[in-house]
Amino acid sequence: MSALRLIPRGNARNLSQMLMMGRRFASGGDGIRLMIGDREVVGYGINGRPVYLDSTDCPFPAIRYREVTPELCAIREKELGDWKKLSLDDKKMLYRHSFCQTFVEFKYFTPEWKICLGVALWLVAIALGLTMLLKTKMYGEMPETFEEERRSAQLRRMIQLQINPITGISSKWCYGENKWKSQVD
Amino acid sequence: MLSITARNLACALRGSLVGTSSRVAAVRCLHGTEESAEEFDKRYEKYFSRDGIDGWEIRKGMNDLLGMDLVPSPKIIEAGLRATRRVNDIALAIRWLEGCKDKCGDQKATLYPYLLEKITPTLQELGIPTIEELGYDKPELALKSVYDA
Repeated sequence: MSALRLIPRGNARNLSQMLMMGRRFASGGDGIRLMIGDREVVGYGINGRPVYLDSTDCPFPAIRYREVTPELCAIREKELGDWKKLSLDDKKMLYRHSFCQTFVEFKYFTPEWKICLGVALWLVAIALGLTMLLKTKMYGEMPETFEEERRSAQLRRMIQLQINPITGISSKWCYGENKWKSQVD
Repeated sequence: MLSITARNLACALRGSLVGTSSRVAAVRCLHGTEESAEEFDKRYEKYFSRDGIDGWEIRKGMNDLLGMDLVPSPKIIEAGLRATRRVNDIALAIRWLEGCKDKCGDQKATLYPYLLEKITPTLQELGIPTIEELGYDKPELALKSVYDA
């Protein structure tokens, strides 16, 4: 289950005021370019914003996951040369510099479904409780028009007035025999 | 008042339509003709093999391909790997391999060995490790909670 990773803020005090303003307004003025710190913007990503997100739909996010460090620069120098000379650890480090999790890691089945199911059941329980409370404590008796007698009187009146005679209720009533038409035809 | 607004709106619309008319035409052309699989492969091979392609474009191409309902052919995968070599980004190559493996879906047992067999010469030539060599076929690290970071 991949989630939008929160990226810690860069140390804004080190930047000069002008640079800060420039970067703050570089992408819509929400300061996201300050938040990503020294991370390299390398692509379009999922929506053009410099955010990191592991997903199978869009596996190449707009920024690298980690900030540049001197050790990493050394490895990147080596990366310019033959890749066969890189050790496996170097390759892994380069990968982890660019990406947070591998495919199998972010697709790994997590027990997150438990909390989802739990929250859903809480909501159902709260709704049921509220309904019961309202039914017992708040609402009074049903209006008298809901009594069986009055409802059948209403139905009789609808038939006498021939309401909806083509497809509706009166079309089901046989006025000659004064009873419901048989269901067959 | 309304007529003035309508006229202004019509002018604005006409202006924007004239600007994009060539793009609209290009999109519409695609409708009638069906692109064959070979042509598709060639198009993407050409895209990745272009001189002076940069990381931005490679990521764009790969993101597009991995978003489609298909498994990239070995030729496209190889072209992509060579493109990553030209921009000196091995992380991109490994991620690309992973993405292609992921696209095999529930056919990993049959499709992935075939892909791997086809691209092994390129992998060895460029010195790119397979996912199994890296140990990335199983989860390696558990992610720390963002609240502990």
